[in-house]
Amino acid sequence: MHPWVRLTATAVALLCFTATPLPTLAAAAKKRIAYVTNGVDPFWDTAAAGVHAAEKEFGIKCDILMPPKGIGDQKRMIENLLAQGVDGIAISPIDAKNQIGLINEASRQANVITHDSDAPGSKRLCFVGMNNYRAGRAAGVLVKEALPDGGQLMIFVGRLEQLNAQQRRQGVIDELLDRPEQDLEKMKFDPPGKVVGGGKYGILDTRTDNFDYARAKANAEDAMAAHPELTGMVGLFAYNTPKCLEAVREAGKLGKIKLVGFDEQDATLQGIIEGHIQGTISQQPYYYGYHSVRILNALSNGDKSVLPKNGFYEVPIVQVRKQNAEAFRTELKKLQAAGK
Amino acid sequence: MTPAPPPLLEVRGLCKSFPGVRALRNVHLSLAQGEVLAVVGENGAGKSTLMKILAGIEQPDQGEILIGGKPVRLGSVREAAHQGIALIHQELNLSDNLDIGANIFLGREPTRFGCIDHGRICRSSEALLDEVGLRQSPSTLVSRLSIGQQQLVELAKALSWEARVLIMDEPTSSLSQGETEQLYRVIARLRDRGVSIIYISHRLAEVRELADRVIVLRDGANAGELARAEVSHDALVRLMVGRDPSDFYPRTTHTPGKTLLEVTDLRTTAHPRARVSFTVREREIVGLAGLVGAGRTEVLRTLFGMDRSLGGTIRMGGIHLHRHTPGDAIDAGLALAPEDRKQLGLILEMAVGQNLSLVSLARDQRLGFLNRAAETRVATEAVGQLRVKTPSLDQPVFFLSGGNQQKLVLGKWLAMKPRLLLLDEPTRGIDVGAKQEIYRLMEQLADAGMGVLFVSSEMEEILGMSDRVLVMHEGRITGELDRSDLSGEAILHLATGNAAQ
Amino acid sequence: MQRSDIGPMKKTLGILALLFVVCAFTAIYNPKFLSAYNVLNTLRWTSLFGIVGIGVSLVIITGGIDLSIGSVIGLVGSTLAVLLTQKHWGVPAALCAVLALSAAIGLFHGLLITRLGLQPFVVTLCGLLLYRGIARYVTDDQSLGFGSDYEGLRVLAIGKVAVPLSGGFQFPVPFFITGAIAILAGLFLHQTIYGRYLLALGRNELAAKYSGIDTAKMKLLAYLACSLLAGIAGILFALDLNSIQPSGLGEFYELYAIAAAVLGGCSLRGGEGSILGVLIGTALLRVLYNAINILNIPTHLEFAIIGAVILSGVVADEAVKRFSARRRAVRAAAQA
Repeated sequence: MHPWVRLTATAVALLCFTATPLPTLAAAAKKRIAYVTNGVDPFWDTAAAGVHAAEKEFGIKCDILMPPKGIGDQKRMIENLLAQGVDGIAISPIDAKNQIGLINEASRQANVITHDSDAPGSKRLCFVGMNNYRAGRAAGVLVKEALPDGGQLMIFVGRLEQLNAQQRRQGVIDELLDRPEQDLEKMKFDPPGKVVGGGKYGILDTRTDNFDYARAKANAEDAMAAHPELTGMVGLFAYNTPKCLEAVREAGKLGKIKLVGFDEQDATLQGIIEGHIQGTISQQPYYYGYHSVRILNALSNGDKSVLPKNGFYEVPIVQVRKQNAEAFRTELKKLQAAGK
Repeated sequence: MTPAPPPLLEVRGLCKSFPGVRALRNVHLSLAQGEVLAVVGENGAGKSTLMKILAGIEQPDQGEILIGGKPVRLGSVREAAHQGIALIHQELNLSDNLDIGANIFLGREPTRFGCIDHGRICRSSEALLDEVGLRQSPSTLVSRLSIGQQQLVELAKALSWEARVLIMDEPTSSLSQGETEQLYRVIARLRDRGVSIIYISHRLAEVRELADRVIVLRDGANAGELARAEVSHDALVRLMVGRDPSDFYPRTTHTPGKTLLEVTDLRTTAHPRARVSFTVREREIVGLAGLVGAGRTEVLRTLFGMDRSLGGTIRMGGIHLHRHTPGDAIDAGLALAPEDRKQLGLILEMAVGQNLSLVSLARDQRLGFLNRAAETRVATEAVGQLRVKTPSLDQPVFFLSGGNQQKLVLGKWLAMKPRLLLLDEPTRGIDVGAKQEIYRLMEQLADAGMGVLFVSSEMEEILGMSDRVLVMHEGRITGELDRSDLSGEAILHLATGNAAQ
Repeated sequence: MQRSDIGPMKKTLGILALLFVVCAFTAIYNPKFLSAYNVLNTLRWTSLFGIVGIGVSLVIITGGIDLSIGSVIGLVGSTLAVLLTQKHWGVPAALCAVLALSAAIGLFHGLLITRLGLQPFVVTLCGLLLYRGIARYVTDDQSLGFGSDYEGLRVLAIGKVAVPLSGGFQFPVPFFITGAIAILAGLFLHQTIYGRYLLALGRNELAAKYSGIDTAKMKLLAYLACSLLAGIAGILFALDLNSIQPSGLGEFYELYAIAAAVLGGCSLRGGEGSILGVLIGTALLRVLYNAINILNIPTHLEFAIIGAVILSGVVADEAVKRFSARRRAVRAAAQA
């Protein structure tokens, strides 16, 4: 017999042996659910606090998985979870459009919901998150407060492939240009790389950095070098605003360039308290974690009544300004401590 | 009367030059169908070049090759194969990660519906293996075969081309006695089936056993031809060694001084069971003779610290060298000019000056910094002393001729003033003029009190330059010949494993 | 003998010309490229990446490669942040500890490569995974920041120094750090016997061995220097960014460094390279990134542009090399 024929035969025999007892083991085990993020960030620690709180409250075990290496890593983690036979997964898709196949595949084997960033058109049961478009508009409001007489802005973001990034960006733009509110289902996006507006408010460009912090900082520096007329920066991802703040501080333009951010990195909150950053939009990740676990737990017990009608469980956003920053930070610290 | 049919293969007036060397000068040979022709000659006599031309690997500068009386052009290995000529290399060219069948049909796999037709490979291979007398399944991996069996696979491969002329380059150099005998039987059977064979060998016994006819090459030209009945050891040696060498060599008589190097029971990695003992004295040129693979190079490498010794002692000028590095050897006064100057002796892309100063940099350093003045001085002196032809010290060595390159290999050691110079084939592949200059330098250095130990496969060189000759065979020193008993016959006797007469 | 460096020198001039062309092109389309602020930033980034480039070029000259640089930067940055902000070590102790760590990593690579005879690609590829994993483990994969407690230390990375006669232009502090490193490395490579040994063994290790050079020791030294320099760069990157993401800090920087070294005249076959060339190669890469932003070229095109420029630089270099080799051969033949 050819060596590899023999090998295959052995492998098949082994598989038959091991494959049968697995389901019985899984059935005997406790219900398991998982919470998959889109990367590694303090933002997700806050969400983890919510997960842990819900775990305690509902008496269920939830694995938290943070893919450090992007979309391939996330796919691998989800596939591993399915292979282990989890009951439910909450996913924050990195590239929703192209992960629909994966999400539908997962939906066949487990209860799948999305959080933080949605995957429209997929078979996920519901989406827990904020309305990123509305959050973008809220950030636009903060910009208007900072620059009531208008100004020229740049937007900074890790990746523009993500739907939440696209929606946030469009929200900022629409708010500043006083456009009417768009319908989430059929949104139109201004192409990046072109100057938008130009009247009272102009958005000169959108720069991406692929999550390289050094690039994020260099992008902000280059923006100031290329555009002396720049008066505002909006960082769409959590780390963008602190990196912009570093660049602005080193350029000696604190106060001259207004900063608005998203999320609640400590450096952002510190900047707000010190008055160097106008404000930030917190999406309350704590509640992402909490509600994801709550819904998955109910689903695993067969309770479908927890699903919202339109499939969107909206977690309200919070605008953090100088007035409420200190209190917000204290509360956040408490939550994060609980999360660890 | 009908004219005699033309020979199967005929070579007329073949010439081939490489930069600095005339490898072949007006060589001719003819080969009849079903004939075994032995080609004999010393290293560098031009055998390999001739065979490469016949196999289509090299192109001749002049001359013609006729097959069946018609001139042919052998522009590539494929064209030669098409004419029915196959070369079996000294180093086997099999892919040992593939099985026998795959190796035989490598590059011309029969296909079926675009896939390799394993069934046909298997059937055809079995027939071929039967013909060469190798009892192995075609699906056996080549890595599991012995060297002798691999040789037979090479033969089967050549037969699969339907070769009419098989060229075998020293096929038995790494075979056991049993394997050699099996190969002889296969060759005899092939001859009886009408295949012609050109057989290159160093081993005279083998030539006597196999050959119908022998041609001898010397210095790239025909030196003579012997029919089967005329083949004798003495006749062959006379033709190989040739003209009286005495006037070519600038040798004077030396009076050797104190013992410099004393080697006792040295064992090298090449022949771990053989022990080597000898001495070299000041003001003495010692030749180390023997066939390729006799372990001469390994002795030099071990002395210089490139190879670990497996036992025995080395005493150099009173210093005991044990587990030493080349650096230690240099400190003890040794220098080694290796055989392969392009791979081991020189850094081809670096400038002449930098090559010449490479060894002496460490001695001339100033707190680790380069001493540019000393570097230039060392290089200029060496270039002058050795009459190296180079436009400047900045010329990359790459552009120099073989002879000038060889001078650099020696030249970088001169500034170190070594006490014992080890030379491995110091004149291989260089022209006659450069050869003589290197001989003169050896002579000059010995006169100045240096000891010289040189390995050479050129009989004339050994005879012409040595005060004393050590002959090695299979890792052992089989004899030591003083100037007075020196003769080519005596050396060949010892080198082929016969005891001294 | 001084003139023997003419080959690399010509190459350096070529890459310098390319740098000049890119700078001139960018400055013509947007004069703000030459603003003091932008020049300062570009100098700072060039300095930071230049340190890594110098390190890897020493390894490339031996004919080896170091793929672990980015992960060493990540590990050093993360460890430094942990030591300072979580373990509350003193600044000198923490700096010494991370430098010793990076030197130990280099020594480890060198020993595996010279004593066990492992391939540099394999050893450092495993290093790439290993150190990134350790960095994420020691930090629990959490981002860490120096906050505002280490402004004094951060001067090393973001400080600016006015130089007499510079007309008020301030140079970034890393510029001087990298300058000092480059001068040391340049002296080492071009003026010491050890540099000559490195170049020789990179061309032909066996021939160098036959000349009595301890090639293993020299290679060990190259890997040690490479990792140590990566460690220094890791400290500076961490201080510059003020916050460290263990999974991301330094990712792919080995590739930028290798690209800069190749642009600057190092051959991956070994035995060739100059420190000045590597610095100019690094500068070219940084200027390209900068130009893409300054000229408002969409960011998604940046990899394509940078790849194309590196490739054309390498192709042009090869063409020049072949042309001059042919001319030289013709001249040599005429003399013979």
